[in-house]
Amino acid sequence: MVSFRLPNVLNAVIKAHLDEFVRPAKPKNGVGAFVFPCRKLVFNYCERSGSSRAMLEYLQTRAVQFARDNPQIEVIVQPRPSRHPIVRAFYTNGQQRTKCVRRCTVDEIPEVVKSLRDHSGHRLRRWNKYVLSDTPSVRGIYSPFHTSEVHVISDQKPRN
Amino acid sequence: MMLGARALAIAGRAQVRGAATEAAERQAVGRSTYAALESRLNLQFGDRGLMERVCTHRSAAGSGEASNERLQWVGKRVLNLQVGEHLERTYPNMTVEMLQDVQHGSFGLSSLAEVGRHFGMQPALRWRSTVKEEPGVGATKVLGKAVQALVGAIYKDRGPAAARDFVRRHILSRPVDTETVLQIKNPRVLLAQLMQRKGMERPVARILKETGRFTSSPVFIVGVFSGVKMVGMGFGSSLRMAEHRAAKDALIKYYAKEIKDLPPASDQDAAEEAELSFFEAKDRERAQA
Repeated sequence: MVSFRLPNVLNAVIKAHLDEFVRPAKPKNGVGAFVFPCRKLVFNYCERSGSSRAMLEYLQTRAVQFARDNPQIEVIVQPRPSRHPIVRAFYTNGQQRTKCVRRCTVDEIPEVVKSLRDHSGHRLRRWNKYVLSDTPSVRGIYSPFHTSEVHVISDQKPRN
Repeated sequence: MMLGARALAIAGRAQVRGAATEAAERQAVGRSTYAALESRLNLQFGDRGLMERVCTHRSAAGSGEASNERLQWVGKRVLNLQVGEHLERTYPNMTVEMLQDVQHGSFGLSSLAEVGRHFGMQPALRWRSTVKEEPGVGATKVLGKAVQALVGAIYKDRGPAAARDFVRRHILSRPVDTETVLQIKNPRVLLAQLMQRKGMERPVARILKETGRFTSSPVFIVGVFSGVKMVGMGFGSSLRMAEHRAAKDALIKYYAKEIKDLPPASDQDAAEEAELSFFEAKDRERAQA
């Protein structure tokens, strides 16, 4: 009489698709290697309208040097007729930020571009905690002011 | 050297924006995308079109275009070798089935897709979904394979040392969630067997702390002991659950014990080591004899 055990199908399926059940580790930019968060900057301008004049001058004089200094960012220049000039930044976490530079002078536009470039891409949020930890504890973080021991390095024999 | 001037695409020079939607324009991918991607990862490929090839899945490759298939084949093996070596060295107590689970769970296609998203490779991918109605199906697998292809491209273009360095810095530096990956379903049985194998005293559970025993939300903290030594600790709203967690904690502590590598000694360190001595002058000759 042949007897057999049914294979544990559910476990086998879970093991085969384990990489989908396990939440992949959160990326820690800077640990091991740093990946620049801003991946693309798009400059939109209008050829004719007056609000784009400062933007046009920036594009003609300073934009190429900026693109040379930042090879990790894809710099795109696109005309966008009959609209105010904008700078649109795309980040590696999928977020975007847009800044309209219609009221900026030629000297203010590089500051706008720099602030967009240096942004991490995460949404502005309020941090209610002053410590973020991978290993949180109910007891809180270590504080040297709240210990009863005093560590002394000396050449005297310790009194037990 | 990738100059930024090459990355500056004056898109409106020839064409007039017509029916093309704004969204499509924003997501347009060109040579500058791949140049920027290379630069962001601090790679300088000798072959200019290599990064584009890495991001081209075979579903999007035309008849003449090269896809990342072969690069992915090589890259998967290079990557798994590095990961396997690292895991084997880091977790001395794990069984080979557990090592396989950790490799598959934490360094499989989904995790690699997460790495690829972090690089900003998702918008640069060229692929087509097999399901026409849902263009997003398969994105994770394709992205994971593209990361494997990237490792393969680095291996072929810049050599095994560069590939090893890339994997170590970008992929192996991420923390591994061993608790989720190991999937221990029967911790009590496993712990009893483990302790018997190691010749330790049989496990005894003791309540360390408790509160609210007869209320609707009790908390028990239970420790599992081998003799006088505590091997695991767990909490729970029932004694049984706390014991379960304590046994699981003991198993995780044993199997997932990590060896944290010291940085490998360079030749300079070896020379310095030979010269340096803590002995004072009068004892030094005797020490070096």
